[in-house]
Amino acid sequence: MNTPSPNHLPLLLSLVLAALLPLAASAAAPPPANAPAPDQAAVAPAAAPAADAAGTRALDQQIQDLKKDVIDLNRDLFVLEEELLFPANTQVAVFVSMDVGDFFALDSISLKIDNREVANYLYTPRQVGALIKGGVQRLYVGNLKAGGHELVALFNGKGPNERYYRRGANLKFEKGVGAKYLELKITDHARAQQPEFEIKDWE
Amino acid sequence: MAVLAAASTLVCAAGTVSLVGHRAPDFALPAAVGSNVRLSEYRGQAVIISFWSSRCSVCAKQLTLLDRLYSTYRSSGLVVLAVSVDDEPLHAEEYARAHAASFALLLDTAKAVSRAYAIDSLPSTVLIDRGGIVRYWHGDDRADDRSYVTQIRALLDDVVAAP
Amino acid sequence: MTPGRLCLGLAAVLLAVGQPGAWAARKADPDKLPSIRVQDLHYGDVLFHFWADEDSGLEALTRLEAYNHWQRMPHHAIDSQLLAAGLYLQLTMHNEAGERFQTLLGDNIPQPVRNKAWFYLGKIWYERGYYDRSEQALNRIQGALAPQLEAERMHLLVNVLMRQGRYDDAIARLKSWQGPADWMAYARFNLGVALVRAGRLPEADPILTAVGTLQSDSDELLTMRDKANLALGFAYLQADQARRARVPLERVRLDGPYSSRALLGDGWARAAEGDLRAALVPWLELHRRNLLDAAVQESYLAVPYAYGKLNAAAQAAEYYEAALQSFSSESDNLDAAVARIHDGHMLDDLLGDDKDMRYGWVWQLKTLPDAPQSRYLYSLLADNDFQEGLKNYRDLNFLQHGLLKWDDSMEAFAAMIDTRERAYAERLPRADALLATDAPTRLRAARAAVDSRLNAIETGDDVAALGTAEERAQWAQIAALEEQAAALPPGLERDTAVDKLRLIKGVLYWRLDSSFKERSYDQRRALRELDAALEELQNRWVRVQDARATVPTNTGEFAQRIADLAARIKAVRERLVDTAGQQNVYLQTVAAGELTAQKERLAAYAVQARYALADIYDRAADQTQSGPAPPSAPEPK
Repeated sequence: MNTPSPNHLPLLLSLVLAALLPLAASAAAPPPANAPAPDQAAVAPAAAPAADAAGTRALDQQIQDLKKDVIDLNRDLFVLEEELLFPANTQVAVFVSMDVGDFFALDSISLKIDNREVANYLYTPRQVGALIKGGVQRLYVGNLKAGGHELVALFNGKGPNERYYRRGANLKFEKGVGAKYLELKITDHARAQQPEFEIKDWE
Repeated sequence: MAVLAAASTLVCAAGTVSLVGHRAPDFALPAAVGSNVRLSEYRGQAVIISFWSSRCSVCAKQLTLLDRLYSTYRSSGLVVLAVSVDDEPLHAEEYARAHAASFALLLDTAKAVSRAYAIDSLPSTVLIDRGGIVRYWHGDDRADDRSYVTQIRALLDDVVAAP
Repeated sequence: MTPGRLCLGLAAVLLAVGQPGAWAARKADPDKLPSIRVQDLHYGDVLFHFWADEDSGLEALTRLEAYNHWQRMPHHAIDSQLLAAGLYLQLTMHNEAGERFQTLLGDNIPQPVRNKAWFYLGKIWYERGYYDRSEQALNRIQGALAPQLEAERMHLLVNVLMRQGRYDDAIARLKSWQGPADWMAYARFNLGVALVRAGRLPEADPILTAVGTLQSDSDELLTMRDKANLALGFAYLQADQARRARVPLERVRLDGPYSSRALLGDGWARAAEGDLRAALVPWLELHRRNLLDAAVQESYLAVPYAYGKLNAAAQAAEYYEAALQSFSSESDNLDAAVARIHDGHMLDDLLGDDKDMRYGWVWQLKTLPDAPQSRYLYSLLADNDFQEGLKNYRDLNFLQHGLLKWDDSMEAFAAMIDTRERAYAERLPRADALLATDAPTRLRAARAAVDSRLNAIETGDDVAALGTAEERAQWAQIAALEEQAAALPPGLERDTAVDKLRLIKGVLYWRLDSSFKERSYDQRRALRELDAALEELQNRWVRVQDARATVPTNTGEFAQRIADLAARIKAVRERLVDTAGQQNVYLQTVAAGELTAQKERLAAYAVQARYALADIYDRAADQTQSGPAPPSAPEPK
């Protein structure tokens, strides 16, 4: 997307100026025949660069290919790190999602698993905005042995009348084989004019 | 990730000056007034982080200087974050009220951020370029007005001032 | 459209994909984008980073690709493909974006998505200069897009037509078009310019005048207003309607970017009307400005020209001479600048040691450093190719820096794997040896044997079998003696022996029998305890087997992956440095070329000035044939 290209105008300008200059010559001296040329070169948009077009295109291609390789590399590194540090059979991940956000301005969340604090995250307005738009933040990734565990989440924020308050939610869950995903859901309960906090187990 | 955090702590512990030329460690802190602040959201702008404490008398002068600079250059993309290392956030908040600064005053009660930046003296001021890289470091308040201005303009114009 | 709005717009349209029923619009708030209903948590995470991170989508794209690899977003196949395409576009990777959009054109793709794909493909083709392909793509869109996108589509189409010189087509489209208010000004501007190009000046006038008199606070719109006035003014100049040219030209802001050209044009307009004294007003104003501006350079000739026309030969000569001086020294400066460029310092001057790391095509260089030769590059920066090249250079640097953070991690991973490997190398042989003994099986077999023996004993009431060692010995002894006794010849000896033995055996038997139940019970209990121990052993055995089975293959594989990736990082980093270097050379060539062109223009102007000056001196000499010696002509340079 772009504004009307500036190229329209200078092109116009060059044509006009070209026409103008010969007129400027004094009556006595013949106007230099090639006067228009320098003007065109001067004001035409982007005098053709000395580098040839084919060379430019090749370099551009090279850069795009290189960028793609960097993206692929970034992806593979991300994948390696997670598979190495948080293999699927022990992985547990906790996500955060938020409803419209009329009744609760999220400030921070702290997470405890089996009574041990594993996350304490501060939210900026920008991030809260991302949640409200529908983003779901992966707040925490960790490892757990198979068996029973408990997740306790504490939500700090401001309520509808600018008062700070803190709410909690907890969930006992069973870790089996394969990754476990849990979702902290902050929803607006329109009738009660209160936010609700629940933890959903994505079996 | 955990490994990364451990590794970067190692880097930082080696000394404050070693951070120059490296990416500024990201952090999020609550503000004395207003919403939480996260450093990485300011990528694209030049950022000054000044570590201070309400008990450090010289820090006040530093903050006043920064306030002046901020009002001059904020429209060109300068951001100033003053990080208080006071144990008791109330002290910092009182200070904030007494010296109405126009920039954000952040509370690092747990000292996690000052540790990450290996702060060992106050005031310490870190200047970060638009790409998030630490470019200049002042471990005291002897840097005069003019050197700050030169550096700030360099960061805003993306040209490195001659050292 | 401002860059900020672009990002918002891109986000909005990309994510507004209609899977029927996938919308969960909450409140009827026209300012809010409808919420996306996320059905896969990881897709939500990608979106979160897309909106929250300040890196032009790099983190979001990395995660998107990773989650795709693990197939964690099954409900959002089309959504994620569309988002990926848009992110690649945002990261200036047109080829990749184009390919991704192509894949969204299939029959099984919903029409709204296909429309979007055609739209973005049209845009990509346009930017790469393939105008007919662009037009085809844009015309493949069926039905209407969202209003903002629809406006942009029209705008693109018009640009394509105008690039192809098809002004009448462009005019036809623009005339009948209605769009959002903020786009109408651009549309009218384009219409005006198209009409001028098509030679329909009378029609262009009211339209360009409307744009040229619009009220606004927006810098963008004010600039467009200036452009409209400038275009109209010069169009009239070219059409020899000088008086009409002045009105729009005098509306151009004196402190705006088009001020110089407007002043030049205004002067020409006045000159064309014959009022050279009036023409001097804007031209003298221009003359005071920076010689770098092409319009200013022309004023250096225009002013003495005017004086010449006004018969002020001395002043004309003075200005011509001054012009020659200025052109000459400026020419020297240009030489110095070109030399410096070839020395390779240009980009350092422009960008400094470390560059603005913002990634993506919305970035624009706004300020220039103060180094002398940078002054000449203003015109260069208006050049699209140069800007793109500069952005590429910065992008490459940004990516390079991004890879640095992985160096520490790779070391840590390798160390981790190494530790694991050593630990296992130590414990594995022992574990293997232990596993090889297959103790549980043997023990179970032994237990089974004991169990069946016990059964036999109990069933057969074999009381002797559970006796103590001593008792069993005695029992055996008695049995042996019984045999001996039976072998004796019948008689008193034999009878006595048998009786005695019977007594002893009876006593022993009685003892054995009374203890049998208890002993049997003890044995059973011991067996049960053994069972418990065996089960425990079995469980542990299975765990050891499992661990043994999974670990070795993992570690070896990871070690390989880590090594491969470390090598790739190194290779990519080298290519980044190398390509940045090539890009630098390209930019230098473009910059040097531009400066050389400027120098040639100055040279051409200098030639004209010399001709004009010589002419003045000639005429002065003619007039004072017998008078004092004419002022010596300046040395030709």
